[in-house]
Amino acid sequence: MILEYFRPKELNEALSLLGRQAPLTIPLGGGTSLSHGEDMPVAVVDLQDLPINQVARQGNRLKIGATVTLQTLFSHSETSPALAEALRHEATLHIRNSATVAGSLVTADGRSPFAAAMLALDARLTIEPGNKIISLGDWLPQRSSRNRRDLIVEIEIPLQASLKYEMVSRAPDDQPIVCVAVCVWPSGRTRVALGGSGDAPILAMDGPEANGAEAAVENAYINAADAFASGEYRSQAAKILVKRMLSAGEK
Amino acid sequence: MIISFWINDEPKQWEISLNDTLLTVLRNEGYFGAKWGGCQAGECGACTVLLDNKPVNSCSMLAVQAHNHHIRTVESIGEHPERGWSESRGLHPIQQSLVESGAIQCGYCTPAMVLAAKSLLDNQPDPSESEVREALAPILCRCTGYVKPVQAILRAAARQRGESVSLFTEPELPFMPEWPSKTPPPSLEDSEPGSGSVQPITQTRVMPRIWTAPQVESWSQVGKPEKKVDAIKLVQGKPAFTADIEMRGMLVAKILHSPVAHARIKRIDASKARALPGVAAVLTWQDIPRVVYSTAGQSDPIPGPLDTFSLDNKVRFVGDRVAFVAAESEDIANQALKLIEVEYEALPAIVDMGDALKPGAAIIHDEPEYVNFSDSNPRQNLAGKIRIDIGSVEKGFAEADRIIEGDYEVPKVQQSSIEPHVVVTYWDEDDRLVIRTSTQVPFHVRRILAPVLGLPVKRIRVIKPRIGGGFGGKQEVLIEDVAAHLTIATRRPVRFEYDRAEEFIASRSRHPMRIHMKTGVKADGTITANEMFALSDTGSYGCHAITVTGNTGQKAMALYVGDGDYRKSPNIRFYADVVYTNTPPAGAFRGYGVPQGFWPVERHMERIARIMGFDPLEFRLKNAIHAGEFQPFSTAWNEGREPHPETVQTVGLEECVRQGRAAISWDQKFDHPGWHVVPGKPHLRRGIGVAMVMQGTAIPYLDMGGASIKMNDDGSFNLLVGATDLGTGSDTVLGQMAAEVLGVPVEDVIVYSSDTDFTPFDKGAYASSTTYISGTAVVRAAEQVADRIRTRAAAMVQVKTGKVTRPEDITLRDRQAFALEGDSVSMAEIALESLHHSEQEQIMAVASYKSPVSPPPFAAQFAEVTVDIETGKINVDKLVMAVDSGIIVNPITASGQIEGGMSQALGYAVCEEMLYDKDGRARENDWKNYHIFRANEMPEMETIFVETFEPSHPFGVKAVAEIPLDGVAPAVGNAILDACGAEIWAIPATPERIWRAIQEKNVK
Repeated sequence: MILEYFRPKELNEALSLLGRQAPLTIPLGGGTSLSHGEDMPVAVVDLQDLPINQVARQGNRLKIGATVTLQTLFSHSETSPALAEALRHEATLHIRNSATVAGSLVTADGRSPFAAAMLALDARLTIEPGNKIISLGDWLPQRSSRNRRDLIVEIEIPLQASLKYEMVSRAPDDQPIVCVAVCVWPSGRTRVALGGSGDAPILAMDGPEANGAEAAVENAYINAADAFASGEYRSQAAKILVKRMLSAGEK
Repeated sequence: MIISFWINDEPKQWEISLNDTLLTVLRNEGYFGAKWGGCQAGECGACTVLLDNKPVNSCSMLAVQAHNHHIRTVESIGEHPERGWSESRGLHPIQQSLVESGAIQCGYCTPAMVLAAKSLLDNQPDPSESEVREALAPILCRCTGYVKPVQAILRAAARQRGESVSLFTEPELPFMPEWPSKTPPPSLEDSEPGSGSVQPITQTRVMPRIWTAPQVESWSQVGKPEKKVDAIKLVQGKPAFTADIEMRGMLVAKILHSPVAHARIKRIDASKARALPGVAAVLTWQDIPRVVYSTAGQSDPIPGPLDTFSLDNKVRFVGDRVAFVAAESEDIANQALKLIEVEYEALPAIVDMGDALKPGAAIIHDEPEYVNFSDSNPRQNLAGKIRIDIGSVEKGFAEADRIIEGDYEVPKVQQSSIEPHVVVTYWDEDDRLVIRTSTQVPFHVRRILAPVLGLPVKRIRVIKPRIGGGFGGKQEVLIEDVAAHLTIATRRPVRFEYDRAEEFIASRSRHPMRIHMKTGVKADGTITANEMFALSDTGSYGCHAITVTGNTGQKAMALYVGDGDYRKSPNIRFYADVVYTNTPPAGAFRGYGVPQGFWPVERHMERIARIMGFDPLEFRLKNAIHAGEFQPFSTAWNEGREPHPETVQTVGLEECVRQGRAAISWDQKFDHPGWHVVPGKPHLRRGIGVAMVMQGTAIPYLDMGGASIKMNDDGSFNLLVGATDLGTGSDTVLGQMAAEVLGVPVEDVIVYSSDTDFTPFDKGAYASSTTYISGTAVVRAAEQVADRIRTRAAAMVQVKTGKVTRPEDITLRDRQAFALEGDSVSMAEIALESLHHSEQEQIMAVASYKSPVSPPPFAAQFAEVTVDIETGKINVDKLVMAVDSGIIVNPITASGQIEGGMSQALGYAVCEEMLYDKDGRARENDWKNYHIFRANEMPEMETIFVETFEPSHPFGVKAVAEIPLDGVAPAVGNAILDACGAEIWAIPATPERIWRAIQEKNVK
């Protein structure tokens, strides 16, 4: 139940609204989730007029404003083919035109290709109030109604790291049963994120090199069973995918 | 709150609620071009609008978010070319192209496609096919398989660029290539496999290939790719559907659904809900009469048990009905549902069909009112029992050299029409109850609900507007009673519309089955006996239980009769038990039991061929039924009625195989090891598979359709049919047949369907019957009208020329009546003469038809797949279907039926399935978990028509609508086997199932 609606133009105004004690006041991105109906009585702060909707390169980092739509990021020149692929599987064009990058991470479950890719990229979130910087990996387990007032203002990803994304699904554009995002830095640092099950994608490995990735994903997903696949299958398929992704070399 | 925005460039200021979605607000204000697919998550895209020129889902954004933005709806895109004295800008080129390319079937998603295409072409005037497919991917279409929408947009783009595109109005129907070719086929071993993304092809492919029967040459309307008669309104998003109506004081209805699988309602108290301001009525089982009935929309008497009540004191599945609410708004209705207090006495639930018949199992139907049909027995949870023996399988097995057995399984799947079930009811000024509903069976709705509502049939009028797809799901009298009870209770109009979750948990589905096959074969490949046992799960109610399951054997087990003497006396056994479980009821779904039969039969035939070393095509054709032989089941079974032996007159199966194998290059692929591997991709294997199938055309001695035709002042005609076009194009093909007989273009035939007050009876749209049964009725009525026209024309020509002219000398064509020497009078002159000038009469006729036979269509279906042998991931690369559906009345609408049917069947093969946990709760209640193929993931599809002339129909037609559902899954299953040796016993063939089958094979 939405009781009040605000569309501030200034970040400070938004933050002071979100800081109110009552009613519970929460950010509204593209609305693709909030429009389903909200059980609790809430006030919403529509972020569409805030100046947090730009994508900018800064050195080796890409700074993505929180309200950048999935489609804007999808078609941005700095977006890697693998990230674009994950975004394409995340949602159809019409949803990508509305949904924001931050909103998608807030509502992502384990089957979100975009969240898996961002986790592999070790994305960093800037959260207000307090200008706190937190890694996506640290933030995902903390998502809950307790911090619904928090406002992500920016998401930052590295540009020098090389991302790959692969998935197995029942049909080419179905949600993943298992998906693997692998990110390799020039230093050799390798991060592997797994998705396809559970409440959020998980980090299977973050190491100085790629060794051990196969065993890591096998272990990480051995219990990832649900109505769509067994943990045994998910861990074996993830192992195959990560082996291929790491052995295929740079493309 | 008041918001301001621009709709179609007009500034608007509207008062809205903060909780309203943009779609709700637009539809409240009369912008009915934006449709609702039942979700609020943008799953289907039917609600598409352009927001600042970008396509978005209006169901999944708040209206307030659009404040200060520009919105474009389909209402601004184009208009009908004829607007009287006012100039018309006509249809937009995109709309024009969608209409002429056959891209519109039910038309429910068409406005969304128009807007998505406009946004694409505004930014990219020369898109590739992949770009068009990406642009259409957000919009689910359950009818077309996307082939024709994609081609239509490519054609529109070409036309907007100033290029010419070919016309279909006078097509050269291409003849088939000769086969087998005298030159050896080129090697295909070096070519790249399909990769999942569709290869861009710039030429447009709308028309199917047709092996034309000679009769077609002489016709001017039948056999031609006419535009659909309802396409122009649908492409503009006109308010043509059930929910596209506003009535003063209309209430919104909601159902309280059961949260438990099996329970008695110990106590139910609706007083708090009734006290909520804005609630007009709450009904529980205590408030309405207890009338037992069946929701299956079938002819009288219902061929199944009567086991259903509008509301009962017992619930039998998660989603069953507990109470009805009518309120001033949806919000109030939802609040009222939460205020109804219910105390359940839990009963043990049967979720797995294998538990239903066990001794001591909970009894799902213990109500004293239960009415048995045939061998149903509610004390055993048995909704139906079938025991059919043709010849003696014991004798056949004794004569076999080898007996091969196998166990197969098919899942519960959902029709998933994009328009949900929806109904509006009201008392009219004569206090007759009007039921405006999205149904395939308006006449059955009226007959079945009369006793349930306590009204005589004559005090009910059922109106069927345009239907946004049904696929069998709307052959159910599913929710009309809810709105009708509430209108009776409140005396006010009531609208009731299922949301998508309700479609999944409280609608109908395809019966899941477990099937055992046992087949005796001689060393020369002759089948000596064929036996099937099916355990079929009808869920909690027995609607369609025995008729669907009967079809599983009656069609799928009829194809292979054996060879030699076995053709005269085949040995076939079909036994089935149809059981109740505490899951949502199964019902009618396009194919009606036959896809369930052909998965085991065609997988089993493939296994036999491979085990015994036969060529899979030759082995099947050796044993398949021939023209002149009995449909074996017609000698033994007729849905519990008296059987009438039927001889099959036309069988185009061999030619279908010849054409299909050429189209998919079978001979260059099957058994060519080099083709099966993919260079540079050691983990991929390609495979090719086939399935041969047959269906029926209508139910003999039962299905009846009527038609009425009258002539107007200008020589046009009104054709009124009870037949129920649910998007299939049946209005169009019926119009074409009338136009052919009357010698006028289709545009001179105004087709209307259907309204129980003024169209003749028709049993409705099911059993692949409309073109055949209703079509014959139309032809008979048209022939009577044509006779009157010839009589009047002969007299008029005689007066005009002074030459003796007899009616039999008159030929009707080109809107003229021609005498032998070429003298003519026009239809308009005949109309004025007969209506106004002399011997005044209304030239008109009615006719109806039922058939003594159900001529089967036949098809060969082929699939090509690529399997990842390490992960089990499968990609279906190509589907080919060569089909003998008799004469094709309209090649564009008929191939649209094939393409759409193959797409649904593709989902059945690889991804669609409805599963329940141990408490009977559904895994699927949306289109995220239940995946339907989108435009950007479709394989290449090809349709070939092999025409035969079926002598029992005036234009030689047989059915086309259901048969494409039958063979895709087994062809895909056989292609997986061909690719990697994995035996798949159960569909859908998910990656894990394939992976496990590969592991098992490697162990052996």
